[in-house]
Amino acid sequence: MTFFGLQWGASAMMWLLPLMALPWLSHSQSKVVAWSQFVPDDPLSDATGFLLKLLASITIASLILALAKPYVPEKAIERVGNGAEVVILVDRSRSMDDPFSSRGKALAINRTVGKGDSKRRIAKKYLLEFVDKRPDDRFGFVLFSNKALDLLPLSYNKNSIRQTINASALGKGLSETNIAKAMITAAEMYGKETYSGSRTVLLVSDGGQEFSAENKQLITELYKRENLTLYWLYMRSTTGLRIDEESTDDSWAKTPEKKLHKFFKSLGVPYHVFEIESVKSFSEAIDTIDQQQKQPLIVEEIIPREDKSSPFFWMAMITMLLLAMAQFYTAWGVKKAHE
Amino acid sequence: MKISYQQRIIATAIGMLLVVVLMVLALSFPRTDRTVKVMDLLFVLDITQSMDVKDVELDGEKVSRLAWAQAHAKDLLQTLPCGSHVGLAAFSESRSLVLMNPVEVCSSYNDLSQMLAKIDGSISWALSSELSKAVFGAIDQAKLMTPSPDIVFITDGHEAPPLHESLFPKYNRGLEDVSGVFVGVGGDELLPIPKHDLEGNEDGFWEQNDVLHEDVYASMSGESEEVRAARPRNQHLSSQKQTHLTSLAKRLSFDYLVSPDNVDTLLTTLEGKVKTRDQVINYNWAPWFSAVALLLLALIYFPFRFFRH
Repeated sequence: MTFFGLQWGASAMMWLLPLMALPWLSHSQSKVVAWSQFVPDDPLSDATGFLLKLLASITIASLILALAKPYVPEKAIERVGNGAEVVILVDRSRSMDDPFSSRGKALAINRTVGKGDSKRRIAKKYLLEFVDKRPDDRFGFVLFSNKALDLLPLSYNKNSIRQTINASALGKGLSETNIAKAMITAAEMYGKETYSGSRTVLLVSDGGQEFSAENKQLITELYKRENLTLYWLYMRSTTGLRIDEESTDDSWAKTPEKKLHKFFKSLGVPYHVFEIESVKSFSEAIDTIDQQQKQPLIVEEIIPREDKSSPFFWMAMITMLLLAMAQFYTAWGVKKAHE
Repeated sequence: MKISYQQRIIATAIGMLLVVVLMVLALSFPRTDRTVKVMDLLFVLDITQSMDVKDVELDGEKVSRLAWAQAHAKDLLQTLPCGSHVGLAAFSESRSLVLMNPVEVCSSYNDLSQMLAKIDGSISWALSSELSKAVFGAIDQAKLMTPSPDIVFITDGHEAPPLHESLFPKYNRGLEDVSGVFVGVGGDELLPIPKHDLEGNEDGFWEQNDVLHEDVYASMSGESEEVRAARPRNQHLSSQKQTHLTSLAKRLSFDYLVSPDNVDTLLTTLEGKVKTRDQVINYNWAPWFSAVALLLLALIYFPFRFFRH
């Protein structure tokens, strides 16, 4: 509930507020005089009495309000930062379970579920490094198998994105993946947000896929409309050939990777492909993206919830101090009178 | 006890001074460290199709088991003390797909609750529902995390294709320190299961001939015809499979709660079952000082004369 423009953590305490009336009902300070007609009319004394009761009421109210746990809720403020908004798509296909080996080394046949460095694990490691480098970025994550889900909508919370990336490296891959759907979902995530400066889609996969004409058209439209930059970290298999190499060999031009690359180039949005052939090139790719994506953008920052009980304690203390002083003065006066 | 007017005035003055002192303490007393018990959990939500059966109540309304599961998981998120960590996973086919490793519940509440709302049948990647294997998988993955979370598995216990008692899979990799609780959802009555294709389109209900009614491995290994014929052919219907969950819970020394009414029941069970960690929090004593001050003030100003006859 809101009261005084503050939120109250224990608003039930406010039921005690009627205690404010106590000083007005109590007569414990008054002296019984045999015949009140003897007491002369004294406006100053009446005013003092009124003031003391008022002070007492204020003290009680302040105490109760302090106990009702007033706070200013956490709020988001906007500032200009340096970074980008990044939606991460990590291929969860089975082939990502394959060991990541450098070019030239023999391809290990057995898949390394649970041990060794699979492509998925390597991707995880460097994506985490990327996230840690970029404090101002806002990250989103798309989970995709044969379907795609905007699992983590764009969030400034670094723990959420880190643990989502960590989770993506657990277990075995899924049998089917649909990159086109994931790319559409990523673009749609931006559709719901206001434009804040820089929008990036980061696709990590080890293979290509041929998209249907319908999907191609939709992706082209969406990526242009949402003003996206596309990065493809292509963790090529050891047998792969350079993706950009012009080759006269028809069989290579027909590989899904090559086709996907061609399609991405035709998108009409900023697009970069990084062919990851070693751990080192992954790290370099991450650095390059890090340098390229340092545009000024509007960053939301969360101001944590702030406790506001101390002004009430101060109020209670000051009014109580006045009251106590007045009371000691009275006690001194009464003592004098008795003497 | 009768006290003189003068004594009364002095006593009041001292009382007031005491209140001032209490206020000074409330404002200046240092916060002290105090420990609370927090836990690390991995919520696994069953998203298989039997969870779409609408046979449970939530706020007086009939809802699907999945909606109930989401609501209860959310309640638990809100109830866990800050410092607890929660991760999310979805069970479909024969695995628990971890979507997010455990994060601190208070600072990441927003992301957790949003993600929780997205865990439904639309992300299931296959149509079978091999519960036991998925539970084992959840344990395996929990062991890979540090600190390893305990498991809260929300399911109706429906195993499809069915398992024969003699072929019940065993978890023999060692539980290490992973423990958990099954939260059973679903009614007692066998009800038809709404059928969706993998695209999520509704397609009537599962029919008797759509599903397997017996464990094919058991029937291959020479079960007698009589035994097989006597077996009810009702695997296309679903209720909360209490016997199955009880026996699974026993094998893994998990606890099993049958449709807990409220989150406190679940929290109490969890506190008794899973690992807890001591989390140091900054304890503020100010409310205690001000409560005493308030009591003192109420006594000073209490209108005793109304209570003297």
